[in-house]
Formats: sequence, structure tokens, C-alpha cells
Amino acid sequence: MISFKRPHLWEVTSFRTKLALTIMLVIATVTAVAIYVGQGRVAANAEGDLRQKFQTELSGLDKLQELRNAALSERCRILAEKPRIHAALEDNALELLYPSAKDELRDLMESGNASSDQAVGSLHARFYRFLDGAGAVLSSPHPKDVGDLSAKAEAQLAFKRLPDTQQIGYLTEDVDRVDDAVDEVIAVPIFSTETGEVISALVVGFKPFEIANKQAGADVKSGIWADRRLHMPSLSKPAQTILSNHVTRALSHTDRAQNSFTVALDGVPQLLFYKCLNPGSLFPPAYEICVYSLADSISQQRRLRWQFGGVGVLLLLGGFVTSHFVAVRFAKPVEQLALDSERNREQRRHAEAQLISASEKLKRSTRYSADASHQLKSPLTVLRAGLEALLAHEDFKPEIYEELSTLLHQTRRLNGVIEDLLLLARLDAGHLQIQSEPVNLSQLVEEWLDDLDALPDSLDVEIQKEFPPDLYVAGAKRYISLIVQNLLENARKYNRKGGRIRVAAQTGGSEIRLAIGNTGQPIARDAQEHIFERFRPATTGATVSGHGLGLNLARELARLHDGDLKLVGSADDWTEFELRLSAAQPVVERAS
Amino acid sequence: MRLSWVVSSNAICALLPASGFAGATIEGRVELPPSHSAPVMAKRYEIVTHGGVLSTQPPLAVVYLEGSFLKPATPSTKQIAQKNFAFVPPLLPVQVGTRIEFPNLDDTYHSIFSYSPAKRFDLGRYRPDERPIPSEVFDTPGLVTLRCDIHEHMRGLILVLNTPHFVVSDLDGRFRLRGLPAGRYLLKAWIDSTTTRAQNVELKNGETAHVDFP
Repeated sequence: MISFKRPHLWEVTSFRTKLALTIMLVIATVTAVAIYVGQGRVAANAEGDLRQKFQTELSGLDKLQELRNAALSERCRILAEKPRIHAALEDNALELLYPSAKDELRDLMESGNASSDQAVGSLHARFYRFLDGAGAVLSSPHPKDVGDLSAKAEAQLAFKRLPDTQQIGYLTEDVDRVDDAVDEVIAVPIFSTETGEVISALVVGFKPFEIANKQAGADVKSGIWADRRLHMPSLSKPAQTILSNHVTRALSHTDRAQNSFTVALDGVPQLLFYKCLNPGSLFPPAYEICVYSLADSISQQRRLRWQFGGVGVLLLLGGFVTSHFVAVRFAKPVEQLALDSERNREQRRHAEAQLISASEKLKRSTRYSADASHQLKSPLTVLRAGLEALLAHEDFKPEIYEELSTLLHQTRRLNGVIEDLLLLARLDAGHLQIQSEPVNLSQLVEEWLDDLDALPDSLDVEIQKEFPPDLYVAGAKRYISLIVQNLLENARKYNRKGGRIRVAAQTGGSEIRLAIGNTGQPIARDAQEHIFERFRPATTGATVSGHGLGLNLARELARLHDGDLKLVGSADDWTEFELRLSAAQPVVERAS
Repeated sequence: MRLSWVVSSNAICALLPASGFAGATIEGRVELPPSHSAPVMAKRYEIVTHGGVLSTQPPLAVVYLEGSFLKPATPSTKQIAQKNFAFVPPLLPVQVGTRIEFPNLDDTYHSIFSYSPAKRFDLGRYRPDERPIPSEVFDTPGLVTLRCDIHEHMRGLILVLNTPHFVVSDLDGRFRLRGLPAGRYLLKAWIDSTTTRAQNVELKNGETAHVDFP
């Protein structure tokens, strides 16, 4: 009868798909981020490691250089103190300079290439030259003794003015020497021991130190960039030219002492470091160049990418299976939920429809009773007016007057019934709203008892009053009064001649109980439980007039005030009702 | 024996011009550069270098008459001793061809050598008892700087001249040359290794010319 199968299935499927998709998305994102971060770290680590390596090797180089420079300057100091050197320099006997220095510098030129240890071999010079006082190179009469040097290379050793501090330079030779084309040159000033002035300089050429790449592995290539050319014997000529261009460009862009960049050599990315070897020297600047292959780092990155990718795929598979199970697991209650909610929705819809129809019915009925009351009241008013007009006539017979007054009485009763019906209709429709205020119950009872006394057809009833003055209850005075009137009228109406009425009040907590009892024929036992129903007059005797709405109305009104009305008992010439209402604080009367 | 002969022949040579004909005389004063260092014990001279310029301290001048004179038949012999790690005298003018002996009067080795273009020699290390006394003949005019290879501070100067007419001024720069031949000459005053002043003089026998080097 209700078709909710299809939407439920579709919803469950989409829920499952969504769950699986979300899990896959999360895993894919995590994998991608992991790969990205991991690669970045590997690259940064590799660069950091290589930079560290370069620094370490350079600092080793620096130490060796420092050692050699210190040794050389000490050598020059001692040399300058030699009277023969002095004599040669000062007595214009420069041709005797080299012969005089030959012995002194013999150890510099000796030792040959036997020593492979750099620290020991560091003082093995390839050539040396003296500069005269003007900074020009003094040629040796025996070039063999001082080391071969081309004329062009020798010219590079000259200064415009003799330096007064050590200068380190790197000079290139045109000669196509295969072993190494760069010489490291140290120019050490020679100070006169007498005047302290620079009288000459000793320029010593060494085979440059090489970055110790034995332990660094074959992936490291080092060389020297000097005179706009790169000398890296481990590279082919074209590669050297390419690298040289790179370095030249980098050096022209930045004037920093040390930097690095990445270049590709034979398709393999390389990290290239360069650092000025002779900052601040009078010789042209030269740079130590180290090229580290990034192949390791790249293969490591690739491996990492595969690893992370593999893990990602595994995670994805696992996630897929998990998501499936989870989806099924989650989907069951969701399925049930969907089913239940659909059922609930239907039930609710049903109940709502019923409620609406009931409410419609109720509305219609109350509207009907209200309409009926109004429809009834207008002809009754006309009727009453007509009867009263007839009573005003004086030329009727007395029995006609009696008949007319009875008719008038009946129209009044009918009016009361219609009033009660109207009120009940409003109660049923829930339209009756009470404005709660403190009501003086004692005074209300007194007034109605007075009215009863004033009635002409007195039954000579004794009235017992057992209540304190100024008992206040919470409620609308008009309806409280109606309840009291109903009860007291009943008490009088169903009384016997010479009987009594007892009105007693009792205060208990937040409520007030008003007991109204009267003598007279009791209510039949089987009728007692129906006396509060509509149109069920108390079946005590046919003599009493009543339409069977009073008690029902009284109880409804009492309940509307959060109170109640009940029959305490009716037997042995005594019928007693109890009215329960909420107590209220008395109103402080203001003297005016 | 040989030494005494050298000394006596030397004495004869020195006396010869003075005692012979009454030749011309030149006297005057050389304006000497101010002393660079605080006045030292005046008696001890030493050779100092200032900016590559060698001079005596306190300053002295060598005044000599330039011209073509005959070489003496027998070369004279002079001495520069090494005493208290200094050359004595520190500045010695000699005529070309003079032999100079270098006796070692200290109790240690000395190693005298010179790289000066006028005379290059190297006597090597020797002790005070070295015999014969190492000597060299100076036959090229010019300034010779003496050094000791062992004691680098030691300096001595030998001014080798073509003329036999020369004299070392006193500390005030005053000088007197006697027994000079008449004629027109160039009178020179050597002040340091780079400064030599010159003036023309006309000498007449028996007369005394007055020449000042401002």
C-alpha cells in the first residue's frame, strides 16, 4: 500500500558510494601529501648533505692553504734576513738572487712527486719567481732551477705595485698541459729587515689542492674556475665549456662568495657549488667548483615515490575493502532507519490526517452547537417579548394571565438552557479562556444564599454556614459564581420542606474545599455515576424542574480552574457535593 | 815581515805627494745631511741604509779630484778589520788597484762577501787565525758594499776611485787636499750611495783653492 522501497535502496547505495569515495579520497590525499613531503625532504636532505660535504672539504682545503701560507711567509721572512738575498736585492745583483735563493728554496722544489699525501706534499712548489721592487718579474738565468713557466704565464705574476700582504691567485697557462692547467700562486712580500719596506716578493706556484674526492665517491667532480675558464680534468672539454658558461653567468649575476645551483650534465642533474678561493686578492678571482651528482638523491626520490605509491595503493585497496564492510555495516542500521523512518512518516501522516479530520469534526460540531444556540436564542427573545407584551394587557381573564406567566417562565428556562449550551460549546471548542484573579468565595456564597432566601416558594429550609469570611480562590468570578449558583440552586431545588442546607469550607494546603450538602431524597444509586453527564437530570423526583446541563457545566468549569467537582455521597436524606478550587491570596483592599 | 813591508811602502806613497813639489791645495767644506739618528757615540761610525741609500752614520763625505792619473807602480795595500762585529773603518776610499786585507779581530767566524757590481767576491768563513789574511784587489771604480753572511747587520763601504787624490771629511764636512797637480779638474764630494756632488776647479801650484759644496 505504501511504496517506499525504491528511494530507500537508492539512498543506501549512494551512502555506500559516498563512504567509499570519501575513504579513497582521504587515502589518495594522504598518499600524495606523503609523497610530496617525502620527496621535498629527500631533496632538501640531499642538498644539505652535499652542501655540508662541500663545506667540510673546503674547510679542509682552507686549513691546508693556511698551513702552506704560514710556512711560506715564514720562509720569506727568513729569506729576507739572509744577507745574500739582501745583498742581491739591494746591491743591484739580481742575477745573483736566484743562485743565492736556490739553496734556501731547495726543499720547496725538491721532494718531487713522490709524496701523494697532500698535507706533506703541500709545500712542493712547481715554480717560484722573485719580483723586483717595482713589482716586475725577475727572470732566472737558469729556468730549470726555478720551474718552467711560459712567458705569458710569467707575465701574469707581475704586480703594478708590490703587495704588502700575501696574495693568492690562480693562473692558467696557454700551454696544453694534460696533467693540470691551473697553478695556485702565492705571492709573499719580502720586507727589508733594515727599513721594513717591501723590497721584493716571492711568488711560488703550486699544483692546486684537489678536493679530496677519494672518499666522496666518483660522483663528485671538482675543479677550478679561473680566468673565465673552467679546469675540471675529470670532465670532457665540451662539458667543461658548458659548465664554464654556467658558472660565468652565475658569477656575473651574484657577487656572493659562495653559492650553488643545479645543472644537467649528460642528462643527469648535478648540484654545483662554487666558492671564491681568493676573496680580496689582487689576483683575479678564482673559484673552487664542485659538482655533485644528484643521481643518488633522484633514485632515492624515485624509490620513495614507489614506496609511498605502493603503500598508497595498498591502503586504497584496504580502504576499499574496509569501506565496503563499513558501508554494509553502517548501511544496515541506515537501511533499518530508512525503513523505520518511512514507516513512521506514513504513520504520522495517517495520524495527522485523522487528527485533522477529528479536529474538523469537532470544529464543525462546536460551530454547529454555537450556531444552534444563536439560532435558538433569537426566536426565544421574540417569544419572550411577545409574552411580556401580552401580560401588559389588562382585559384578559385571570387564568390567561396565569397561563401567560407560566409560558414566560418556560421561555426563561429555555433561555437558561441555551445559555448553558452556548457556554459548553465554547468550553468544548476550547475557546473559553479564564482571566484568573482572586475571587472572594465566602462573599459569593453569602450573596447566593441571600438570593435563595428571597425566592417566593420558600420551602422553609434551614441554612447552616460553616465557613470563615474572606476565603479567596483563584479564578474568573463570573464562572465561579456560576458553579456556586448551580450547586446552591440544586441544594434548594432537591430539598424537602423543613429541611436544611449546609455550606462548609475547608482550607487544605493550596486548595479550598467547599462542601454543599442538602436534605431530601437521595440520588438513586445506579444514577449516581451518570449525574455529571449531559442531559442526565438527577432522577430524584418528577416534581423538580431541570434540564441536566447544570452539574456537567459546573464540573467542566471547575476543571477549567484546575479544580474539580464530585459527589461525596447521596444516601439517607443527605446529598453532598464537594467543590475543590485553588486558594488565592486575598486582595488588599484599598480605602478610597 | 810582509805586513811591515806593506805598511812602510804605503807610508812612502802617502808621503810622496806631500813632500815633493809644493803642489796645489784645496780646502773647503761639504754641507753634510743632518744626522738621522740621535747623536751616537761620535767615535763609532756605522753604515746605515735609509730607503735603499747607504751612508755613514754620523754622515761623512769623501772628497776626491777626478781626472786621469797614473796608477802607482806598486799597488798599495790597506786593511778593513772586523772588530766587535763591525767593519773598521766602515768607509774606506781607495785608488783602483788597491789590495784590501780583511783581518778578523773577533773571536768568531766572519764570512765577508760583496754582491756589488764594482766588486763581487766571497771570502767564505774564516777565523781570526786565518793566514794569509784574506784580501781582495779592487780594480774597478765604484761603491762596494761589504756584508757578512753570518752577521747580517754588518755593513762596510769601499769607495774605489780612479784618483789617488782623495780625503775623508771630518764630522763638520771640512776637508783639505794637498799636493795636487795644477790644472783644471772636477772636484767631487761623495755624500752617500746615491749622492755625489761635483765642482770645477782650477789648480795652480803653490796656491790654495777654496771650494765649498753647499
